[in-house]
Amino acid sequence: MIDVDGLQKAFGKKREVEAVRGVTFAAPDGEITGLLGPNGAGKTTLLRMIATLVLPDAGHARVGGLDVVADRYAVRGRIGVLSDARGLYPRLTARENVRYFGRLYGLAGAALEARIDALFATLGMAPLADRRTAGFSQGERMKVAIARALVHDPDTILLDEPTNGLDIMSVRTLRDELRALRTQGKCLLFSSHVMQEVAALCDRIVVLARGRVVAAGTAAELVERAGTDGLEDAFVRLIGSDEGLAA
Amino acid sequence: MTTLRTGSAAGRTLTVLRKELLDMFRDRRTGMVTLLSAICAGPIFLLLIFNLIASQAERARDLKLPIVGAIYAPAVVAFLERQQVTVSDAPADYDAQIRRGDLDVVLIIDDQFAADVAQGKAGSVQLVFDRSRDRARASIEQTESLLRRYNRLWGEQRLMLRGVASTVANPLRIETSDLATPQQSGALVLFLVAYYGLFASVMGGMAVALDTTAGERERQSLEPLLMTPARPTEIVTGKWLAVSAFNALVVLLTLAGFYLTLKFAPLPPVGVPFLFGAREFGRFALVLVPMILMLPAILLYVGSRARAYKEAQANVSVLLFVVSLIPMIQLFMQRKEPGWLMFVPVSAQYSLLNTSLRGEAPALTQLALSWLAPATLIALALFAVARRLSRESILIGK
Repeated sequence: MIDVDGLQKAFGKKREVEAVRGVTFAAPDGEITGLLGPNGAGKTTLLRMIATLVLPDAGHARVGGLDVVADRYAVRGRIGVLSDARGLYPRLTARENVRYFGRLYGLAGAALEARIDALFATLGMAPLADRRTAGFSQGERMKVAIARALVHDPDTILLDEPTNGLDIMSVRTLRDELRALRTQGKCLLFSSHVMQEVAALCDRIVVLARGRVVAAGTAAELVERAGTDGLEDAFVRLIGSDEGLAA
Repeated sequence: MTTLRTGSAAGRTLTVLRKELLDMFRDRRTGMVTLLSAICAGPIFLLLIFNLIASQAERARDLKLPIVGAIYAPAVVAFLERQQVTVSDAPADYDAQIRRGDLDVVLIIDDQFAADVAQGKAGSVQLVFDRSRDRARASIEQTESLLRRYNRLWGEQRLMLRGVASTVANPLRIETSDLATPQQSGALVLFLVAYYGLFASVMGGMAVALDTTAGERERQSLEPLLMTPARPTEIVTGKWLAVSAFNALVVLLTLAGFYLTLKFAPLPPVGVPFLFGAREFGRFALVLVPMILMLPAILLYVGSRARAYKEAQANVSVLLFVVSLIPMIQLFMQRKEPGWLMFVPVSAQYSLLNTSLRGEAPALTQLALSWLAPATLIALALFAVARRLSRESILIGK
């Protein structure tokens, strides 16, 4: 469960770049919540604040009841993050990459190895597990990054533009994995500027533009509210322009 | 459903350390270059220096002296021959040969030599040489000193013939006693060995320190790492220990290279029995411990300020310049070292290495003092890196 209440963040010497200006929403367990918005809407900053990496200027965010500022390390132990920084250690094998993070989360021994095996099996990565990641394709790297983000079995999962640069097969693997996690009762928050992506996967959509929530609800609710025929038109009308929008 | 899992701070630090070590030794190219240059540099270096010294000593031992007009002063020539100098007739183009470096020094005896002496005037001889040629220096000095000796001898004989004691003309008797033990000679060798030992501790951890900071940021694996429960201080400590361990390995290999070369390699005998035995090996290692630990901390800091490996390399070259300059300044100062030198990192270590090479044990108080500044700098650098890692700006501009 993610609870965001009035989050604000500005950057720059004089705090002149207002990235997030008072965002409030909730993402319940057992659902995939989509954060939809054009480039520059503040999605990444918002996710980083929830992931405890960036301190909010004002407002609160709670993950599983824990405050992202006061209990930041406890929150880190409970969330899994797939950010757009998906760098791996090229000289380590896929397994060693994931093992490193597992150990940092306090896992060890046979339990950790079993967890890694299970993750790689689900992701279809078992044959590549003991190869160095230097020569991996984008899709293979993404799978290792997913395994790394999920190794400690977090109950809240944040994904920042997870389908960027992936081929269609990898996108499908990712979608299946996210649906499986939803079935397990996890809370998933998924950001994207690709409307179809969000529509195909998310139970609820939060539309973000210029640092503010402009609408929230299911796809059907958004279409109804905007009074348009399809989601694409609804989206354009809700954010007030088609700037920075990918079809 | 998930329970809160928290490993211990020590456990996470150890995890970072183990991963970084694994990562370093997987990096074949950097590893091989660093380790090979550490192993080979010492021996190659020593071989070159020893050959240089040997050839200089050789020249001084069998001095060859071409003479123009040997017939005008047979007594001078006879004296030189008695002193084991190989005398020959100078070729016509001797000045060209000296310029080319084929001849070291040529003696010209004036054709009026005998006539001048007979009239009670000083007979003139001329030495032709090129002092800018290092190799010739030993021959030049030896020829000069032989001629001066002949001059004094001749004068004393004349005074004796007149019944005057030689002390009338030479009231000052100069006796020298060189307090240098055998291993105190060969200052150049000492400088180079100390310098190189110091340099190894600076260079050893460079590539890996930059790779683990600027490289990690460039490869975009830093953000995921910072999202784990590992605290910035734990990450930095783990990385620092890993780089220091690698640095220690490079320094030990470099010292082992010196030790093995001096012990087993067929180096030419140069009369500089300077010591680098097991005892000096141990003292070197001890003196260099603060460097081995300090440079990685500083390099991590420099690396953490850069967005990419290349940028970090450019920044680090300034640091290297300063560090490599300090011993040079000390070499050229040639003064008795002031007491506060022990507080200056690099300088203190260089001075203590020289002490060790002279066969003396560095004083414990000095060793302790030489630790103060490095320990402070280590703490400051690690604190600064940890602070940088916990700042938001590290995520921006990747």
